[in-house]
Amino acid sequence: MATANTNLRLAGESSRALMCIGAIIFFFALHISVGAKHIPLANVFDAFLSYDAKVFDHIVIWDLRLPRAIIALVVGACLAVSGALMQGVTRNALADPGLLGLLSGASFAVVIGYYFFGSTVMPFLPMLASAGALVAACLVWWIATAAPGGARPLTLILSGAAVTAFLAAIISGVQLLDQDNFQNLRVWLTGSISGSRFEVLYWCTPWLIGSSAITLYVARQVTSLAMGDEVAVGLGVNVAKIKMLVLLAVVGLTSCAVALAGPMGFIGLVIPHVVRLFVGTDYARVVPYSALVGAAYLLLVDIVARMALAPVEISTGLVTSLLGAPFFVWLVKAKL
Amino acid sequence: MNNSLTIRAFNERFAVLLPVRAIWVLLALVAAIAIVVIWSLMTGSYPLTVTQVIEILRNAPDGKTGTTIVWEFRFPRAVVSVMVGALLALSGATLQNVTRNPLADPSLVGVSQGASFAVVFLTILMPEVGYYYRPLYAFGGALAVAALIQWISVRKTDGATMRFILTGVGVAAFISAGTSAMLTYGDIDRAMTALAWLAGSVHTSNWSDVWITSVCFALLLPVLLWASRPMAAMRMGPDAATGLGVNVKWGRIGLITLSVALAAIAVSAVGPLGFVGLIAPHVTRRLVHAGVGLHLAITAAVGGLLVASADLIGRAAFAPVQIPAGIITAVVGVPIFIWLILRQNEKGEL
Repeated sequence: MATANTNLRLAGESSRALMCIGAIIFFFALHISVGAKHIPLANVFDAFLSYDAKVFDHIVIWDLRLPRAIIALVVGACLAVSGALMQGVTRNALADPGLLGLLSGASFAVVIGYYFFGSTVMPFLPMLASAGALVAACLVWWIATAAPGGARPLTLILSGAAVTAFLAAIISGVQLLDQDNFQNLRVWLTGSISGSRFEVLYWCTPWLIGSSAITLYVARQVTSLAMGDEVAVGLGVNVAKIKMLVLLAVVGLTSCAVALAGPMGFIGLVIPHVVRLFVGTDYARVVPYSALVGAAYLLLVDIVARMALAPVEISTGLVTSLLGAPFFVWLVKAKL
Repeated sequence: MNNSLTIRAFNERFAVLLPVRAIWVLLALVAAIAIVVIWSLMTGSYPLTVTQVIEILRNAPDGKTGTTIVWEFRFPRAVVSVMVGALLALSGATLQNVTRNPLADPSLVGVSQGASFAVVFLTILMPEVGYYYRPLYAFGGALAVAALIQWISVRKTDGATMRFILTGVGVAAFISAGTSAMLTYGDIDRAMTALAWLAGSVHTSNWSDVWITSVCFALLLPVLLWASRPMAAMRMGPDAATGLGVNVKWGRIGLITLSVALAAIAVSAVGPLGFVGLIAPHVTRRLVHAGVGLHLAITAAVGGLLVASADLIGRAAFAPVQIPAGIITAVVGVPIFIWLILRQNEKGEL
């Protein structure tokens, strides 16, 4: 009986996972096929299975479309996972790397780095972004816990908003002093995916691997943290250590996303909520599914951003904010 | 009472009790504003002395460089910054009294974002529409956003401040995404103009700004004076206000509209100057205890002083580079805001 149940659960689990992976493959191919020049899906698969350097479509796919699709995939997964981890650890349905100031910390560091060192700063982008995100995260967390009543959703979001406002003021000051900076970074600052930043992905790889390893290691313990610190201690979890590891993972993932595509709001908020509807509250499942669904979601959003007002592209970050902000308002209305 | 002054007029029909300390504070603030204004008239790439400035202000001798600089550039700028500060401070004070929430600020609850959206829309997509329609558009945008936030966050049971603020944060994010879309894809020159305006800068202010702002101010001031009584009642909570004969529902709607209008005028003139509306009422509360009317007057003076000093600092501190006043107010305002978060009381009723 027990075996039958387990088998059934495994079957459900694997069909869910397969569904997500299927969706990713479908959106990935669609993402590559649509654009200024429409490429039939058959050609897309051809380009992978039998690459031919003489076929123009294949060159377009490998040089232009594929890098962008990969970046969308990675960024979506990073942001969704860091949102899920933050929601678990802060026990706050409204946690998101953007709302809690990490995105603006990372982009602040990038803008400042760009201001002082110009484009030579590129290889150090992930490192700079991590430093910025780490400082912003610690600041927000410190303010929220020092406030009377502790880190409630309201204090967390208010301190996130305050830190964001502060950094945004300095960013716009820097951009006013340096018009080149504004010209080069204004699109990036709204969160935009472009294949031309593919080299950044190489520099991000060590960070991505490190953060993913930490994430896989802590995901199970986050479930017990989500039930409260006392429960976690009772279950034998080293709370301080796990929190520190989660902070590192979140900072690493967020800063890779920012280095690749700029600050992209609300993905980390929306996806874990959607995922929890389907897989429950066990973070050992929420985290991987968030990665899958986040990747699929950002691929889809990027398709919309490119197609909605074609031939003009909308910044993908603007679309995620336009979709995510109403969701946030709805969460506030429904859950608080 | 020794420490207050009673004025009775019109055969005892009109009487005000004025605390002496508050009057002294008000006078001191006005003097401080005068000093800051004269100082900012002196400072710049063409420095002037105090005597020269006073001479120019009194006689305006023709054909001198100093006259042109003071009358065409520095004086309107100083006047606009004082007025804008006063408007934002009054808007913030009204909002804080109505929502009974010490963290309410026009830029926090979406009012500034609504006004910014409307003005950026106008600057980038319809540059042919006259400059004079800016306040109108800003007011429209701000009012629409404020109404939206109210409508979403109000529930029958209570006007929970927490939901109000969080909804404001969400709606503000939504509107800002729209504003950035226009900034990103608009023509670069217009986008640069809009960006400078968005950073909250008074450097482009001229006499037409002074006229627009002061006319709007003059129209709203009597309304504000008339509204100060219901505001005093609403500060004590909806139940007490109802007991004192105030129609709470309409009072709330009316006062929020008034607050939005005050902020919208300021925003349309110089862009969203953050945190002035938040700080000024708190500073005033630390300085004196006074009735609502005098409290509002002092708040306005504090706001004017804040923005005028922010502009002076922004101009002088890193000369020849000019830092927009909005950046200075944000850099000063955020730590104060954080301090307010840290010392709110625990009940969640902020």
